[in-house]
Amino acid sequence: MSDPAQSDSAQTDSAQSDPARSDSAQNDSAQEEPRATEASAEPLTPLLEARGISRSYGSVAALTGVDLQVRPGEVVGLVGDNGAGKSTLLKILCGAVQPSAGQLLVNGEPVTFRSPKDSRERGIEVVYQDLALATELSVAENIFLGRERRRPGPFRILDRPRMATEAAAALESLAIEIHSVRARCGLLSGGQRQAVAVARAVLWGSNVLLLDEPTAALAVMESEKIGQLVTQVAKRRVGVVLVSHNMPQVHALCDRIVVLLRGRVVADLRRDETDVRDIVMWLTGAALSRN
Amino acid sequence: MSSPLKHDVQGGGTAPDSRAEELALEAEDQKRAEERERRLGRRRRFIEQLQGEGLILVLVVVFILIWVSSPFFLTQQNLLTAASVISVLGVMAVAETLLVISGEIDISIGSVMASTSVLMGLMAAQSVNVWLTAVIGLLFAAGVGTVNGIITVYFKINSLVTTLGTYSIFLGVAYAISNTATVSIGGHGFGVLGSGKVGSIPVPVFFFLGLWLIGLVVALFTALGRHIYATGDSYDAAVRSGIQANKLRMGLFIATSLSAGLAGVITTSELGSAAPQIGDPYLLSVVTAVILGGASLRGGRGTMLGTLVAVAILGVLQNGFALLQFSTYLEDTVLGSLLIIAVLTDRLVRRAER
Repeated sequence: MSDPAQSDSAQTDSAQSDPARSDSAQNDSAQEEPRATEASAEPLTPLLEARGISRSYGSVAALTGVDLQVRPGEVVGLVGDNGAGKSTLLKILCGAVQPSAGQLLVNGEPVTFRSPKDSRERGIEVVYQDLALATELSVAENIFLGRERRRPGPFRILDRPRMATEAAAALESLAIEIHSVRARCGLLSGGQRQAVAVARAVLWGSNVLLLDEPTAALAVMESEKIGQLVTQVAKRRVGVVLVSHNMPQVHALCDRIVVLLRGRVVADLRRDETDVRDIVMWLTGAALSRN
Repeated sequence: MSSPLKHDVQGGGTAPDSRAEELALEAEDQKRAEERERRLGRRRRFIEQLQGEGLILVLVVVFILIWVSSPFFLTQQNLLTAASVISVLGVMAVAETLLVISGEIDISIGSVMASTSVLMGLMAAQSVNVWLTAVIGLLFAAGVGTVNGIITVYFKINSLVTTLGTYSIFLGVAYAISNTATVSIGGHGFGVLGSGKVGSIPVPVFFFLGLWLIGLVVALFTALGRHIYATGDSYDAAVRSGIQANKLRMGLFIATSLSAGLAGVITTSELGSAAPQIGDPYLLSVVTAVILGGASLRGGRGTMLGTLVAVAILGVLQNGFALLQFSTYLEDTVLGSLLIIAVLTDRLVRRAER
């Protein structure tokens, strides 16, 4: 997981995908198309799959028989009203909460997560709105926190220049704009912090990213940048689960949108077969009564 | 760059030029935000500089004041004595600085020092080898650190409360066991730790500077140092990065207590006797030095250089007060004032971020 070669290979990846990016940036509709067809055409093994997940707290059922799949390069939107079970599901996916029933699979293999540490070891990373970064440390220090680069020799002292260079290259490869990797994270904007946290997870080889309300506290511009970042990340064959209340954004970014209502999946919609109004109808349960 | 999000929000229904206008407005917002960020950065650096240089300025002013007031101050003999005296405090301040950076505090060190000394005296009275009593004393100190750590880290009790408790417990124990009596202890060349000299430099100074250098290297050049800062700064971020923050804090509690034990051993060696009173001057002053040096009680911030300068300030003050025959109570007053000024400065730095 903490393969030193990771960042290098990541860079080559993005170098290849860069031309594609500038193309798609000019044409909105073309952007999502290749990914969507790709995901549906090859029956890829899901990176992360939840089968029949239930969770109850006492006699209250928070989740009932939930199925969810995330494939490489796929962005899955997880939407639902407050109390629909989104955060419980997210916590189960990352191992913070254990399901009462059901099975989680990583690359088709059944797994049991006893804690977020277990899920991280399998390449699943949650990026929270806050708490993601140490504000007193620099961008580079945060990116390498817990996996510091050290100089060879008996004292294994920190190799700061190398960390700075690698961090800068990594951010650039994800098109994240931060004027200096030596800047303290406390001085960055919310969006920039979020971006650094995402970059960090991707760089260290996570192949499933769980984003919990990444744009809830951000200005429109910043929120848009996070959207672009999600697209970038998906291009690296990372699976993304995006929990959000921002329906237009969910619709714009996600290949599939899974709608939760009172702890059940009521709809699993393909992006090109739905629109924002449709999602909202499912979300509120209006679509159910219509049928 | 037009983005998919924008497109879908607008549903393509809005006139293109109003959209462009909107984007331009947002770009302006962004620019303003960046400008603000830069301004805050500048202001913060300024205050930090003020804090760092202010500290050195305080040292210089205090130094000159006492130099002017006492002809005995600037003599090699006096300065070396002052350095030796303050080194006992310095030994504890190094570990305490790292502990405070990690977001915890230990105020029990004064009583750990005292009880280590009393324990040594107790054993020496039973004619246990004095060096062995020192080793056992250090083990005892490490044990207290472990207790502090377990209660704070695993039971999630505020370390101020935990160590206030252990402070009281072990000070009480020290006085009760010793019956406030002073026990003579020494022999086997034990005195070298406290009153020995290499060249003309007292041995305690080497203990302090040695530990300080280790602390400096750890804080600046090792991954461990980054982990200590990160733990104090954002516990959750540290844990999520795979840092074993609990073990780290546990280790720092033990290191701090151990350094208090060492201070106890050094003082006992220097005095040639074990006494429960030896920890009394260090309850306030070690924490004062650490915070004066710029370590923040909220964790995540602090430097070894700051602690060094702060320890020097305290050393000069202490020496000056003795030379000028000011009341030692007044010394406490000055220390208290310095502590408050230090905390206010820290708050000022924090505010500069908002």
